[in-house]
Amino acid sequence: MSKTLHTRRKFLRTSLLGGAVAWTVPIFLERTFSALDAMAADSLVGGVSGKDGPILVILQLAGGNDGLNTLIPYTDDAYYRARPRLGIQGTQVLKINDHLGLHPKLTSLRGLYDEGRMGIVQGVGYPNPNRSHFRSTEIWQTAVDSNKTSTTGWLGRYFDSCCEGADPAVGVNIGSQSPQAFAAGEPKGISFARPEQFRFNSSQSSDPAAADEFFRSMNETSDDRNDGGSIGMLKGSVDSGGDTLDFLRRTGLDAQMSSDKVLEITRKSKSPVPYPNSNLASSFNLVARLIGGGMPTRVYYVGQGGFDTHSGQAGSHDRLMGDLDAAVGAFTADLKAQGNFDRVVLMTFSEFGRRVAENASGGTDHGAAAPLFVIGGGVHAGLFGQTPSLTNLNNGDIIHNIDFRSVYATVLENWLHAPSNEILRGTFPKLPFV
Amino acid sequence: MLDELPSDDWTPEAAAHLLNRAGFGGTPGEIAALHKVGRSRAVDFLLAGDEDADLFPPPAASEPVNLVEMLSKSKELTEEERQMKKKEMQRIFRDQTIELRAWWLDRMRWTSHPAREKALLFWHGHWATSIEKVKEPFFMWQQNETLRTLSLGSFRRMASEISKDPAMMRYLDLQQSKRDKPNENFARELMELFTLGEGHYSEQDIAESARAFTGYRVKQSTRQFEFQPRQHDSGQKTFFGKTGNFTGDDVLDLILAHPETARFLARKLWVFYAGSEPSPELLNALADEYRSTDYDTGRLLKRAFNCREFYSPTVVRRQVKGPIQWLVGTCKVLEIPLPSAIACNGILQQLGQIPFAPPNVKGWDGGRAWISSATLLLRYNIAGYIISGKAQGLPGFGGNTPSRSTISVEKVFSAEGSAEALCASVGWRLFQSPLPPDLERKFVAYLSTHGMGSAARRDLLHLMMSTPEFQLT
Repeated sequence: MSKTLHTRRKFLRTSLLGGAVAWTVPIFLERTFSALDAMAADSLVGGVSGKDGPILVILQLAGGNDGLNTLIPYTDDAYYRARPRLGIQGTQVLKINDHLGLHPKLTSLRGLYDEGRMGIVQGVGYPNPNRSHFRSTEIWQTAVDSNKTSTTGWLGRYFDSCCEGADPAVGVNIGSQSPQAFAAGEPKGISFARPEQFRFNSSQSSDPAAADEFFRSMNETSDDRNDGGSIGMLKGSVDSGGDTLDFLRRTGLDAQMSSDKVLEITRKSKSPVPYPNSNLASSFNLVARLIGGGMPTRVYYVGQGGFDTHSGQAGSHDRLMGDLDAAVGAFTADLKAQGNFDRVVLMTFSEFGRRVAENASGGTDHGAAAPLFVIGGGVHAGLFGQTPSLTNLNNGDIIHNIDFRSVYATVLENWLHAPSNEILRGTFPKLPFV
Repeated sequence: MLDELPSDDWTPEAAAHLLNRAGFGGTPGEIAALHKVGRSRAVDFLLAGDEDADLFPPPAASEPVNLVEMLSKSKELTEEERQMKKKEMQRIFRDQTIELRAWWLDRMRWTSHPAREKALLFWHGHWATSIEKVKEPFFMWQQNETLRTLSLGSFRRMASEISKDPAMMRYLDLQQSKRDKPNENFARELMELFTLGEGHYSEQDIAESARAFTGYRVKQSTRQFEFQPRQHDSGQKTFFGKTGNFTGDDVLDLILAHPETARFLARKLWVFYAGSEPSPELLNALADEYRSTDYDTGRLLKRAFNCREFYSPTVVRRQVKGPIQWLVGTCKVLEIPLPSAIACNGILQQLGQIPFAPPNVKGWDGGRAWISSATLLLRYNIAGYIISGKAQGLPGFGGNTPSRSTISVEKVFSAEGSAEALCASVGWRLFQSPLPPDLERKFVAYLSTHGMGSAARRDLLHLMMSTPEFQLT
């Protein structure tokens, strides 16, 4: 049996003994392994428990956000020469200084910037950029050089190195497929899109109570299940290296361990601020309720798609920026109302920016470096990194001047208090945004 | 490598494994019949199949909606009427798409040639094309038919046909590719995702091959492929270091002559069917086989399904069922029809594999990516729906919950015999291997406690399906 499964079952059992009716007392999840299990406590690095630790929220803009029309160099002639149709006029941009302004729809973000709660990191990318969505996303998620691959993601390695023995909900992804960034040696993190479906639905049975009890019992006393038994089922040998069944059992346990808590929180809590009607806003609303409800989560992951604007970009990018701004605006207002804004850093990223020059279809093609945002009560506001040149290009693409792993290193070291060298497999200079 | 499985190892478990992977699984009776004929004949039987085309009347999407008529008429209409027309067309497309999905799923469920439908599922994920961009269900149906014909045949022909397939042409912008401004979308994905894999071609190869694929158009009136010489760039191109006035088919021949192509495809096929990475030696052997048969997929699969490696302990019951495999296979072992078209649509959407709508041009990641804490619990709950007919709270079914009658449990889970014998027999039906002892103990205890009534047996079926083990094949 894998170590994780073993520890998790131990956790389940301890919790069961610790509380008289543990399965119906959702607060058990607020305690971590360390509180209940001395063995796990020994190996705990620290800082992963409780309701007051720092929280990181990642927002992925999938498809390649057009960085140049997000942070607009409105005094640069080269910008308007490259974008005769798509260029946004200086009179429209939300100016943040004498050269740069935000997309006109980003009014909430501009407010956060003015409040001193938003940092903008410019020209973020990596050497030898790859223009494939899939490959470039993988590079960002696994945080490796563009000519290398890794089976683990950068957040997964953070979980591995700093969150051993932590609650599986240390990472929460809003969606049904787990992001590659969460892939870890000892996988952690849960995913769900709809809290009401994030539970075993025993109401379909003729005897719901019996079904529920039985379903739980299949997991809780699994310590009795020896490897030989499961292998008999698999017709395989112990050392065959295939641990797919272990993976499934672990996922099932993680889901079971978290679902009561998630349901409890989401049923009870209501956001004090109104959210707009979009998928992204719903995701942020869920995250805010989970934070407010005291989930032991360190990293939340949400996504917004549709940024692959090869044609007819003007209208679609406006809508995307509008949705993004409204959702982030509601989320930050919610966190402030909760009193949790100082505990949260929200970071955006996209697999690449887009080509400097617009194309013949009123859109832009896959590019390279782009700016990203970091937002939160603890963020030092301002611009970080140099504004990229629009004349000194590499194959029509912006040349990066900040490696994305510098952003990761900053967040890991200065926000999550984690050793970035080990996680990022190298040393990257930190930035002073947090 | 690729040695045949010794006949002593051709067990009922091995026969079940073959039926699960080459097709969508089957009942204990079907497994026993397959086991009885021996491995080699079983493989031949599955790959040859029966002629079954007549059993499946074509869906509504097999007739193109007359867009020309709809559009030309719309010029005489007021803005309001035009909007109505547009809405009407969208509704027709949506309904046809849902019916088309159900039509294909039904084929998987009932066909007497499951290996062909399974291979088709592979190719659909390979040449991933989505209705989200293609819009017209007719094109998706047509592509499905093209791929079905060739799914166990020549990849060479398939590649050529797909490059001229209207759905693909629309999905990867080939029909907008102009002589003076070739669109590189198809050319890039052709090499990155469909044939060679990244790292075996240059940006120059992409640009030059994009020129070769110009002039490909879809004729408005017939909705079929048409070559327009005036839009074709017939000039000299340099591709893979060779120079000539290459056409699109010439480029495909050059790609298929590249040794990496056979390796790339053989690996992907092995991973799809075996569920694990092939060793380097095995991959070499599979790639050699594919090349030496001039990319005959059926012949490659015949070698694969007969070989020892395919039945190794790292392969058997180690693959996560994809959502379609899970749904179709579940209905097969329970000997029930599929849920309604709208319910299937909702189920597969929730579980992450909507036919005719792969998430992107790379298709579905598959394997463990099918499973997250969210989708695992959903599988358990949808299993409850399939058994009980109750859809409360299940998302994706719309407001009017489709009712489904409770399954008749007698056929698959009789009350005759001891609790132990019953659990062993239904366990074989659901898992096609002996149950792990602790699970078996629990199941037996459940029956002993709750009795052998049909409701209790139904509840236990649901619980058996709500296990990690049931997610594997």
